[in-house]
Amino acid sequence: MPPAVEVTALSRVFVGKSPVVALDNVDLDVEEGELFGLLGPNGAGKTTLIKILSTLLLPSKGSAKVLGYDVAKETSKIRPLINMVSGGEISGYGLLTVRENLWMFSQFYGIPGKVANERIDALLHAFGLEDKADVKVRTISTGQRQRMNIIRGFVTDPRLIFLDEPTLGLDVQTSRAIRDYIRTWVRSQEGRTLLLTTHYMREAEELCDRVAIIDRGTILACDSPEGLKRRMNRASTFVLDTTHFDSSVISNIAGVKGVSAEAMKEGLRIKLVVEDESAISDIISSVGASGGKVLGLNKSEPTLEDVFIKLVGRGLE
Amino acid sequence: MAVTSHLRTLRQAAWLGWQMESNWTRPWLFIIYSIVRPIAATLILVVMFLVVKQGVANDPLMFTYTYLGAVFFMFVAQVLLGATYVIMEDREHYQTLRQIYIAPISLHVYIIGRSLSKVLLTSLSAIISMAFGLLVLRLPIDLLRVDWPLFALSMLIGLGCILSIGIALAGITFLTAKHSTGINEGIGGVFYLFCGTLFPLTVLPPWGQSIGMAIPITYWLELMRRSLYPAGGIETISGLGEFSNPAILLLLAASALVFLGLSLLIFWFADRMARKAGKVDMTTTY
Amino acid sequence: MLNVRAAFGRAYPRAIGAIREPSWTFFDVLLPLLGIAAYIYYYRALGADPAFEGFVVLGGAMTAFWLNVLWGMAAQLYWEKETGNLQLFLVTPMSRMALLAGMALGGMFAAGIRALSTLLLGILLFNVNMVVVDPLLLVAVFMVTLIAIYGMGMMFASLFMLYGRDAWNISNLLQEPIYLVSGFYFPVKALGPWVSLIAAVIPITLGLDAMRQELFGPVANGLMPVVWELTILVVLAVAFLVMARWSLEYMEGLGRKEGRLTLRWQ
Repeated sequence: MPPAVEVTALSRVFVGKSPVVALDNVDLDVEEGELFGLLGPNGAGKTTLIKILSTLLLPSKGSAKVLGYDVAKETSKIRPLINMVSGGEISGYGLLTVRENLWMFSQFYGIPGKVANERIDALLHAFGLEDKADVKVRTISTGQRQRMNIIRGFVTDPRLIFLDEPTLGLDVQTSRAIRDYIRTWVRSQEGRTLLLTTHYMREAEELCDRVAIIDRGTILACDSPEGLKRRMNRASTFVLDTTHFDSSVISNIAGVKGVSAEAMKEGLRIKLVVEDESAISDIISSVGASGGKVLGLNKSEPTLEDVFIKLVGRGLE
Repeated sequence: MAVTSHLRTLRQAAWLGWQMESNWTRPWLFIIYSIVRPIAATLILVVMFLVVKQGVANDPLMFTYTYLGAVFFMFVAQVLLGATYVIMEDREHYQTLRQIYIAPISLHVYIIGRSLSKVLLTSLSAIISMAFGLLVLRLPIDLLRVDWPLFALSMLIGLGCILSIGIALAGITFLTAKHSTGINEGIGGVFYLFCGTLFPLTVLPPWGQSIGMAIPITYWLELMRRSLYPAGGIETISGLGEFSNPAILLLLAASALVFLGLSLLIFWFADRMARKAGKVDMTTTY
Repeated sequence: MLNVRAAFGRAYPRAIGAIREPSWTFFDVLLPLLGIAAYIYYYRALGADPAFEGFVVLGGAMTAFWLNVLWGMAAQLYWEKETGNLQLFLVTPMSRMALLAGMALGGMFAAGIRALSTLLLGILLFNVNMVVVDPLLLVAVFMVTLIAIYGMGMMFASLFMLYGRDAWNISNLLQEPIYLVSGFYFPVKALGPWVSLIAAVIPITLGLDAMRQELFGPVANGLMPVVWELTILVVLAVAFLVMARWSLEYMEGLGRKEGRLTLRWQ
């Protein structure tokens, strides 16, 4: 059985006055039945990759296959098998009801009316949207709209679904409901594959069988969340609380692999990935020398975020 | 302070309007594009005239009447289009209406500012149409005999009046969905039909003439014709022959004031209704 | 079957959407009647043959279709791109022609109601007399004209898909100038043989001319015999549909290559 996604030496350059390299020589395999995550900051190339895989965009170089078919040449074989949902998208028509919009999109996949309606009912129930079924789309809230979008993706029962930042800007409860559904959907039938892009570390860690970390068009690492964390082996992670000061001095200290500073009410919370724990004393000295004061220091268990900081050298948020 | 703020809004909105209209292509193409439509609309009437009368010389007074009406009606059609599109485009397309709406600026001034680019472009279309009329169609107008003061004063009051009607229509657009035909074309149609634009008021049934007499555009178009073609006898066919120039000017000023008040009231009411119904930032495509 | 379902799916929001927003009756039926009335009174002021008033009503009714072709077809894929729908349509397995056919069918339905309302109100209000000489020929001309103008709209839709506001602006430009050269309100022959023959590339020109001849007889001053016009219309309909299919494929390929299928706010 071919992999669900097979990407080889894939590049995409947007030509213009100043050409942008969105993807640079990317290799990636996603197996059937996998819940795969692409983790990276804004502009990393995640959406470009999704667009290529979903047949909306052609690669500049390299090849990409989806469910065994070439994205450049065999679009008509790929399209019946996939679907795509993007976070914050405005799909359909405001004048139609939620149900009508979903029905319309199901027709674009040739699903018989009865089957479509049964699936729509089941999905509206699963996402707690039954009471909005006959309400015009333009009157529903952002969260409800995104739940409708997600339903639109699943209503065609795709073999492979691309979810591009599906929980972007949603509240905790809605995000959790969506994650729960995704997990159940992939596991409930063999051969269902899901490719998710996100810049939420927790989401990737909680959901995905494997995660690829992507930055500036390049895949930096690809493994299970646990596997990625194990790559931290020699590196140690610390959380350093300080008063406000210019934290950029820390990244220049020998032994420091990554720094991510977050402004808190009373000062800074700095996540550190160090190769050699002896660097800590230099870090503390530099805080004092830069006019800051150390409020606390804790060694922490590595998270996906720490892996990201180590690989990219900076935080994601 | 308020005046300075309004002037700044006006300047910014006019600049934005010009940018939004013109930045999609090269300037010369944009200018051609902007004048082709209104000039074509005028030429339709010319052909209709020629099909029936077989030549301008067979009824020069009627031809001049219609031609001048059509040329100056461009201002009505284009400014009303501009004003309603401010709301439609900002709301449906760019989806920036909500930001403009909550900004501490006068929405009236913003709409007027955005419509100014239309005034400028229509002026160009009108000048070209007039030149075409004079040189090709041999309109019997002598530029040396034009009553320029009357023309300038009437033009000023007329434009102010059209802009104020534009504000009212922009207000109504808050409440309506995006349709192929906008309220601007509808209300424009009312003025086109009842204001003696193409044909003398006397052709209309009496109730239609009464409607025309209540609309300032009727007096404005009459003054445009009389000022450009003084002593040409336009007033003998227009149905307003019993009124002198000052009387028509007075009627124009008075009715324009009433329309200004009405427009502000309509805008205020529509604005409240839109907020009440949550329609300020709706999108209605289908 | 997939494409039939898809076409019907896309036609649905057109048909239902236009009816659901009740303000359309006011905007799209009653308001255009004002312009029609103005032209009718203009002809009356000029002392024209009463049949000319019929030309105006017929032209006014067909305007509903032409506006729909411009705004509901030609500029539509551009608009779908701007609202984010285009990419969702393009990842589906349906034929792109099914999408356009759905838009056309839905649009024809909505515009048809408008055209019929305009025609009936125009006839009633202005006592227009029309005598149908050959109903079958008239229906054939009308149907083929619709297919040809919507075929043209489908071709424009694909051509304009990748372009920014040019699409909107070209649609805008194709209103009054086309009313002029296609003879919406007068026999097109009045423009002279060359202009009218060139204008015949736009199917609505010959469609209107043929319908005028069928409904008003010799006073319509037809450009050529109705059967010839019908034949040319059939050729135009086929040509536009073929070109629509070709341009759609080409533009989608170009869009995928250049990454412009999902570019918004141009």
